[in-house]
Amino acid sequence: MLKLILFSPLLFPLGLLAQAPDSPPGASTPGASTPGASTPGASTPGASTPGASTPGRATISGYVKDAADGEGLIGVSVYVRERGTGTVTNSYGFYSLTLPSGTYTLVFTFVSYEKVTRRIELTSTDVKLDLELREEGRQLQEVVVKSRREDDNVRSVEMSVNRVDMKTIRAMPALLGEVDLVRSIQLLPGVSTVGEGASGFNVRGGDISQNLVLLDEAPVYNSSHLFGFFSVFNPDAVKDVKLIKGGIPANYGGRISSILDVRMKEGNSKQAELNAGVGAIFSRLAYERPLFKGKGSFIVAARRSYIDVLAKPFLSGDLKGSKFYFYDLTAKANYRIDDKNTVFVSGYFGRDVFGSEEFGFDWGNGTVSGRWNHVFSNKLFLNLTSYYSNYKYGLGTKQSDPNAKDKFEWNSKIMSWSIKPDFTYFLTPENQISFGGQYINYDSQPGSAMARSNGESRNISLESRYGDESALYISNEQKIGSRLTLQYGLRYSMYRVLGPGQIYAYETIIPGERKAPDFPGTTYKSGEVIKQYGNWEPRFSANLGVSSAASIKVSYNRTTQYLHLLSNTAASSPLDVWTLSSKNIKPQIADQVALGWFQNFQDNAFEFSVETYYKDLANQIDYVRNSDLLLNPFVEGDLLTGKGRAYGAEFYLKKAKGRLTGWVSYTLARTERLVDGINDNRWFPARFDKTHNLSTVALYDLGNKWSVSANFAFGSGTPATYPTNRFEWNGWALPNNYYNARNNNRIPAYHRLDLSATKRVNHGPFSKRGSAEWVFSVYNAYNRRNPFSVYVRQNGDDSRLTEAVRYAVFGSIVPAVTYNFKF
Amino acid sequence: MKNTALFILLTLTLTACEDVIDLDTETGPAQLVVDGWITNQTGPQSIRLSQTAGYFDNSPAKPVLGATVLVTDEAGTKYEFKDLKSSGQYVWTPFSPTNPMGYLGGDYTLSIKTNGEEYQAKTHLYPVPRIDSLTYFFEKPPIVANDSPKEGYQAEFFARDLPGEGNCYWIKVFKNGKYFAKTTDINLAYDAAFSPGAASDGLLFILPIRRSITPELWQERDTVRVELHAIPKEAFFFLQQVRLESSNQGLFATPPSNIISNVVNQNSGGRKALGFFGGSIVSGFQTVIDPKKARPKP
Repeated sequence: MLKLILFSPLLFPLGLLAQAPDSPPGASTPGASTPGASTPGASTPGASTPGASTPGRATISGYVKDAADGEGLIGVSVYVRERGTGTVTNSYGFYSLTLPSGTYTLVFTFVSYEKVTRRIELTSTDVKLDLELREEGRQLQEVVVKSRREDDNVRSVEMSVNRVDMKTIRAMPALLGEVDLVRSIQLLPGVSTVGEGASGFNVRGGDISQNLVLLDEAPVYNSSHLFGFFSVFNPDAVKDVKLIKGGIPANYGGRISSILDVRMKEGNSKQAELNAGVGAIFSRLAYERPLFKGKGSFIVAARRSYIDVLAKPFLSGDLKGSKFYFYDLTAKANYRIDDKNTVFVSGYFGRDVFGSEEFGFDWGNGTVSGRWNHVFSNKLFLNLTSYYSNYKYGLGTKQSDPNAKDKFEWNSKIMSWSIKPDFTYFLTPENQISFGGQYINYDSQPGSAMARSNGESRNISLESRYGDESALYISNEQKIGSRLTLQYGLRYSMYRVLGPGQIYAYETIIPGERKAPDFPGTTYKSGEVIKQYGNWEPRFSANLGVSSAASIKVSYNRTTQYLHLLSNTAASSPLDVWTLSSKNIKPQIADQVALGWFQNFQDNAFEFSVETYYKDLANQIDYVRNSDLLLNPFVEGDLLTGKGRAYGAEFYLKKAKGRLTGWVSYTLARTERLVDGINDNRWFPARFDKTHNLSTVALYDLGNKWSVSANFAFGSGTPATYPTNRFEWNGWALPNNYYNARNNNRIPAYHRLDLSATKRVNHGPFSKRGSAEWVFSVYNAYNRRNPFSVYVRQNGDDSRLTEAVRYAVFGSIVPAVTYNFKF
Repeated sequence: MKNTALFILLTLTLTACEDVIDLDTETGPAQLVVDGWITNQTGPQSIRLSQTAGYFDNSPAKPVLGATVLVTDEAGTKYEFKDLKSSGQYVWTPFSPTNPMGYLGGDYTLSIKTNGEEYQAKTHLYPVPRIDSLTYFFEKPPIVANDSPKEGYQAEFFARDLPGEGNCYWIKVFKNGKYFAKTTDINLAYDAAFSPGAASDGLLFILPIRRSITPELWQERDTVRVELHAIPKEAFFFLQQVRLESSNQGLFATPPSNIISNVVNQNSGGRKALGFFGGSIVSGFQTVIDPKKARPKP
């Protein structure tokens, strides 16, 4: 308090900030319109740290938040008009700019938010400027919102990055009306899926395990519910989604293909809010409210499928004990201790449960992350993250009866905890340095299992595996003149395979076939370092402005991955086991170069980009025929190692303004693998390779309470392996490919149209308070039986006859109605 | 167990849609196919030689005629197989009808000479445990396949895996003398469970295997016959792959790969052969379903 009084005179000038001449009345500074903004939040005790700035220069820094609910806004552009330079707010809404003394016009812009312009006089004193931006909205129609310069996509050094705001994701047609983050990002350029209903997503030739899926900085090991039909992210709790496909900055590591950075809402810090919805699959409830008089807030959001509740009265006999449901719980709280310290705690817990009294199967993730944002000075920002994440599954028979004579139990899990300091040092407006590190500790239990037959039990557990990963990085974002921005950095990652463990070497007898362990192997003690890997990971991006509305960007990055998902199926199953790098499993390494042209048209109403990329992947895992990946103590003998390459061109045209918004994305790509012993040692297309991939998303606001939207997706058929010949054995016609080929054919192309219409209602379900909406959606509108796969088999009546079968996950139109409300 | 888990996982996923379609595929050159299996059971033993054909060529497989087919055991005894009907079915006929060809612990080498190439395959006959008993109980499951009986008897056989890691078994089921012959009916055991990792050596066969002998519910007066074949490990992996590649479908299909063969062309540059030559010692158990003898449902 003393400090506050002491320094408040210094902040006085802030209250007198002049409004920029071109600022419309409605876009008035929140400082003026909301008295709350000039509360201690804006009058920063630590705003000025005398001596911290170079004489003649001063720093202006602060947080930018959403005026409606106090959420920090990520990626807000802060532009200094007089100098033609600027910055963007970081993941916590923080920005910092150091400028010579003078008078400046700062322009704060953010997509679909009103622009705020502030005129500021900088003397030698540092200035703290917190701001609130107001969303463009219907309620403000009397305000003429001037066109804004939302050309961040052109101006930022970031490339190969897609941000989709939740508003758009919500407005898109969704399968069974369930708004789904992963399904939505599958419509972006460079992103594909192996097929409908498959878990995860593929980015630029990477498999699903090569994406680092972060929920508030904690990794999520399995992002799916119901085997892959829905993703684990509750749309009511998500604030921002960013997918980084290339030019990956040095602060990210651990996966080689992409980063899906999902940020949870912080909770409304202005007023309590309840959101709920009933859809075809989930019923949802989210509650958020301020804490400690607006200095903090929290959100709790829950979803649960409810078909089992409806079905219960109709189940009898053996089906009575049936269980089939999935749920998730997402929560987050934040507290702003003072101007320099903010803490966040986030958690996620989800589970899928299936089974009966005889048999049960369940899986799910749990993550907890805690973060501390600390402003050392207005130039040095720290985010310290610590997380714990696990993924577990369990299955078995007679799980509830410990004394059953015959019984089977099997549990598998992977756990990791980490600590991760990330510093941002705003050296000058031209140089922004990031540095930090990460330590991750892994504990993997591939299988802890017990089998009992007629009262005799056997422990068939596999040894747990341990390891840790450490990394240090530093990078700088440097502006050179007004046209060139560089981002260059270096990351060093180190992985240690730790004991205890019984480790075997494996001998290749025939390439492509099962390898035999060399007995008796080597025994390592607890904590002993079995093997160590270290990798330098250079990162580089550049943006060269060609004109005020166009730029060329280029990037290179090397990424390393020490964690491998053993999955030999078309779609990954919840049983797939995450395996740590070991003596025999080398870290995966990828090198990617990308080149792109970015241009905006018609005053940024249209954003256009074309990017090309080439990616080289080393130490890619494949599998021997008949591979046995579960509960196999010698599983490493069933793994093959190969390399991969992926290249392509991505075209993206987005309409960001007006009643009609949306995008068209088209990707031309090739993804191949080369593995000794497969496909006669020649390159073959990966299972998820798609030559053409086109997505169109259109959202149209009809005004009068209705809005409509449509998606159209087209993709080349995925590769398939067909036999060339048949042979008869024991009366069975069996397939054989004479050329020993892999993925030598393609299934028919995939295309699908989805439609949806939303009607807004101005009152809640129970009273006039709140608002509601009805969402009507149709998935697969023209009823196409899109193949997931084409396979061959024997005819069911005569095993000597052969036939080909097209397998479609959805054989019909899928209509749905969802009701959402809030108050 | 894993297979059961995966199976349930598969059936749990939304009922998808399957259509038989026409497919154009390339055809590769013809190869020799060996379909040979010897046992310790009495009577003639046969080995069938045929050729591969285009995958969708559903005409009967072309026989390989005029081959020399000889099996030799480790004692040097030669068993000559002759194509009596010129059908590609090469038969060895014992001197007396009660004289079996295979015996426990025997090593057998098959040698085939055809079209100037010589092929060889080896097998070994392993011991088999006896089946102690076979019980059944009445069952009316909530879900049954369309053309299967809605109620009937679920059978269970009791046998114990022989001591020693790595015994493999093929369990065959016969209804009123008729063998359940589909690839989906292939029941295999590795020791007393499904796979090498299960460490089930010496146990009573685990419950899902004991109950695997009811491809469809048994009815009153049905004759149930169960045969336990002790098979070599290579045969276990061969049959496991036959089963997999015959129904490799759905979301969790694995990449199709060629089914392994133990028939080797002696000329390493020559055209490879397909199929398998195996053998087994057999034990069996037979009973007639009698509702009075049914056990109560556990």
